[in-house]
Amino acid sequence: MRYWLHVYRVNLRVAWALLMQYRFSTLIWAVWGFVGPLISLAVWTAASQSRNGAIANGGQSYSGSDFAAYFLVYMVFSHLTMSWDAFEFAYRVRTGSLSPQLLRPLHPIHADASFNMGFKALTSVLLLPAWVLLFVLLRPSIASSWSNMLISVPALILAALTSYIWQYCLAVIAFWTTRVDAIHQFYFVLDSFLSGRIAPMALMPAWISGIANYTPFYGMGAFPVEVALGRVPPPAAAAGMVVQLVWFIVGLTVFRTLWTAGVKQYSAVGA
Amino acid sequence: MSEPIVHLQDLAKTYRVHERPAGFKNSLVSLVRRKYKEVHAVRGVSFDVHQGEVVGFLGPNGAGKTTTLKMLSGLLNPTSGTATVLGYTPWRRQHEFLRQISLVMGNRSQLHWDIPAMDSFLVNQVIYQIPEARFRATLDELVQLLDLGELLSKPIRNLSLGERMKCELAAALLHRPRVLFLDEPTLGVDVTMQGRIRRFVADYNRLTGATVLLTSHYMADVTALCRRVIVIHHGRLLYDGDLPRLAERVLPFKLIRLDLDPEALHAELDAYGEVTERDDQKITLRVPRSQAPDIVGRLLAEQPVLDLTVEDPPIEEVIDLVFASDASAEPKVLVG
Repeated sequence: MRYWLHVYRVNLRVAWALLMQYRFSTLIWAVWGFVGPLISLAVWTAASQSRNGAIANGGQSYSGSDFAAYFLVYMVFSHLTMSWDAFEFAYRVRTGSLSPQLLRPLHPIHADASFNMGFKALTSVLLLPAWVLLFVLLRPSIASSWSNMLISVPALILAALTSYIWQYCLAVIAFWTTRVDAIHQFYFVLDSFLSGRIAPMALMPAWISGIANYTPFYGMGAFPVEVALGRVPPPAAAAGMVVQLVWFIVGLTVFRTLWTAGVKQYSAVGA
Repeated sequence: MSEPIVHLQDLAKTYRVHERPAGFKNSLVSLVRRKYKEVHAVRGVSFDVHQGEVVGFLGPNGAGKTTTLKMLSGLLNPTSGTATVLGYTPWRRQHEFLRQISLVMGNRSQLHWDIPAMDSFLVNQVIYQIPEARFRATLDELVQLLDLGELLSKPIRNLSLGERMKCELAAALLHRPRVLFLDEPTLGVDVTMQGRIRRFVADYNRLTGATVLLTSHYMADVTALCRRVIVIHHGRLLYDGDLPRLAERVLPFKLIRLDLDPEALHAELDAYGEVTERDDQKITLRVPRSQAPDIVGRLLAEQPVLDLTVEDPPIEEVIDLVFASDASAEPKVLVG
């Protein structure tokens, strides 16, 4: 345990040093996370105004301020659960720059996970004033309790872990085809519809939310948001976390299988 | 004899490469009918390397040297054959194995480009679990041997190629590997730096007893560091043995360099051997190796010799001749 703490601490230090080196680039990437949720918020606010101020479906109703709450919390949570390793990893496989990492007695996922955490920790501090400003300006309706907020913390951690491991599964496909961008785009399309990124799941057609129940996307996206906003009763929240855990374990198993088979395919091009 | 540190038995690596002729029509055809070609990078190579040896691994571009080193360091899985390094199967990449080896590649950096080398060294200290006292002692030693000094606090991208290579070597040696694979470690660096890196590798080998397998296109690296060379060509092992014996087998000549009295400038020297160079009163004769002692005796007796040296042909010439074999032909194996 002490070893792992040291490994993550020293890698976090390197991650921060690298992020500080390119601080403007870091900030721009972080701010880019505002775009999607704010566009969705604008669209759904306009839609709710044209329907007497609220949109209802399947027993759940969303007013303009409910949408503001949903998409603002989604924006913050999405920042904390995002991962970009598929792009990075494919580049390393293509150029052979993965080789030095494979030669070290530490799986490359640990350095990448440290960097991911370092990025989120640093940029969250930088973005905090902007998030506060958006909450003040858009006046979201948050009727949730502190207990809901607390329950959402493990749900958020599980969402981050699940998202990370599935993204890394996608990354490892680069061992077979170095052009994983197309696969990643397809994954992003699925994620947009099935995670609640473009609309709360309650407002999606029943067949889409039905499919979402059998995928990890809902648990990686809307689920912790809905828990935080008090839209999921505690027993359902507990059941949802079990489902998240199952998807994480499945992802970990898939990752291990893919890694073992994929690393045998590695041709260490150029290095 | 003790167990070998590095052992290869019929090690082979074949790549499957997609290929298509140029042109739009061919690119359309390749959409539905893809053609693959098998490239045999390494074909059944076997050899052993023992504790403390420094072995030069020679071959032209595409001979299979780097592929072999990548298999031995665990980066690549072979198509067939077996190999052990320190008793481990390299491509299983067990952490205990990786803690005892290093691969330094002249064209590839393990250091973070944007931050000082010292930050990367500290990461290695934790990953390789090097105790603080040993880390400091090794670092001090490396700083002294490689003259790293102020380099440690500069971002890698601000260093020259030679300075970067010195930092790469230090990063690779902080955990004191027992086996060191060096793939073109002096690539692109100036002559002074090449010399310094060579001296450093020799010192490291002498002080730690590490086993070193080195590839280089600079023959000076090989002659300075390696008594034994392994020559590989078209993926096959051509020669494994002493460097001087390779010269004897490939080029059965000696070079006699003469400095003659100016009065003898027009002396008939063709009777002694082939005149390969003539510069004023300095003359180089190429003579059959077996006849060299007799010819030297005759020259000293019959000619006004001011100075005379007998040399082996330059190793570059030897290697050129070995590699000049027809690419399609089966290479001739030279026994070491």
